[in-house]
Amino acid sequence: MKKNDFTILIADDDEDIRLLYQIELIEEGYNVFLAKNGKEVLEIIQKSLPDLVILDINMPVMNGLEALGRIVSSDKKIPVILNTAYSSYKGSFLSWAAEKYVIKSSDLKELKDAIKKIFDKKREKE
Amino acid sequence: MKLLTFILAGGKGERLYPLTRDRAKPAVPFGGIYRIIDFTLSNCINSGIRRIYVLTQYKSMSLTRHINLGWNIFNTILNEYINVIPAQQRIDESWYKGTADAIYQNFYILEKENPDLVLILAGDHVYKMDYRGFINFHIQNRADLTVAAIEKEKEASSRFGVIEVDKDFRMVGFQEKVKKPKTIPLKPDKILASMGIYIFNTETLVKQLIKNIKDSSSDHDFGKNIIPSIFKKNRVFVYNFLDKNRKLGKYWEDVGTIDAYYQANMDLIAVNPIFDLYDPGWPINTYHTPSPPARTVFNEPRRIGTVLNSLLSNGCIVSGAKIIRSIMSPNVRIHSYTQVEDSIIMDRVDIGRNVVIKKAIIDKEIRIPPGITIGLDHDKDRKLFTKTESGIVVVPRGFKFE
Repeated sequence: MKKNDFTILIADDDEDIRLLYQIELIEEGYNVFLAKNGKEVLEIIQKSLPDLVILDINMPVMNGLEALGRIVSSDKKIPVILNTAYSSYKGSFLSWAAEKYVIKSSDLKELKDAIKKIFDKKREKE
Repeated sequence: MKLLTFILAGGKGERLYPLTRDRAKPAVPFGGIYRIIDFTLSNCINSGIRRIYVLTQYKSMSLTRHINLGWNIFNTILNEYINVIPAQQRIDESWYKGTADAIYQNFYILEKENPDLVLILAGDHVYKMDYRGFINFHIQNRADLTVAAIEKEKEASSRFGVIEVDKDFRMVGFQEKVKKPKTIPLKPDKILASMGIYIFNTETLVKQLIKNIKDSSSDHDFGKNIIPSIFKKNRVFVYNFLDKNRKLGKYWEDVGTIDAYYQANMDLIAVNPIFDLYDPGWPINTYHTPSPPARTVFNEPRRIGTVLNSLLSNGCIVSGAKIIRSIMSPNVRIHSYTQVEDSIIMDRVDIGRNVVIKKAIIDKEIRIPPGITIGLDHDKDRKLFTKTESGIVVVPRGFKFE
């Protein structure tokens, strides 16, 4: 297993997806936290600061776009990847605030590439 | 091109205290029968703009009531509307942090309406402007953003954000409140001062708002943060404000302080007012309850109801009193042997006998008992009321004389 210091918070209302992502991303060497909706995401980032948040959009209680809006307008500078089954949310102006918009697919290659790119950029800055 | 208009009406107007103690600045009464926001709303109507969102937050009840009662003139069947939107905390749990944040927090409106152009106006300025010229100028220049500006004397630069332009009026510099400003090409004694009025292409606006909101060191203000930071990489043009007020000189007042507010009111009663309320080509709409005609009574020696060089609204009764250079809102009663001079008297004020008022602003519904003097005794006025450096006394709403 690779070792990696970065922490990723994943929000999805589907338990199977949460599990899949957890396994795959731990495999990549990341630390992983999970949330079931946008509200849980906001509660978690109150207490600890992940390096990246991956948000599903269609979630109960608080959807991913609303959570995104609140994260970017807070003083916590956490990059966000939107990860949804639908491309139609690209029409939402709030979605432009995400670092990346990745359509869900069974292989996580695009998502993993997007994550890597964000962390590479972060390493460069540091 | 689809246009959407936002009027920012959330300003606290702190420097207008105590007039803004119980109301937002756009709701402050002005010129007898108006509220400050009536001028911007009338500009919209007279420019053919019929789709308006008014964004409010602080102490918005008086403002919302005024708009609902006075501006319910749109035809929803023709997709015309004026929607008053309070701060809803949809994407942030705080009040609007600044003018840019006010639009950011209402992104859902932009998404729903999906306009090509967004016109952003302030609800607290007094001026007459045909926005069609402004919009056309923006389109013709294929601009990303156009800022409206007014020519001011070079000496006034320390009070304004000064915009530097090239000969085509493309923005090439911005200076905030400086002593040695950049002047207008071919007009070395004039500067261009930003009026806080903008027209954006929607895409530019959205991108800039997102960039701005991510910067936590920002005040999230169009004038302070966004405009000065984007003119280098975007097509930003400056529209030299053409006044619809058909008098000499251009008129645009921010009425930000008690002194400026007082002076702008007094401008209305000059023999040739520089801001003309009587132009049939530019009607100004407002709301007021039906009141009977104003009248004067008594014509006896020493007891003549007299009104000179003043504005007198409906429902006023000047009963054996003398009014000079003053503005009387509706339903004011002034009783015998009283003299009111250089003052602004708001709705339903009742002034008893033998009162003398000079250079004062009396807020709504105050009852002034017989024999009181206001504006004559500096120390007493300062103790009881707000008094500005220039000597204007403000009697705030709810004040009770003993």
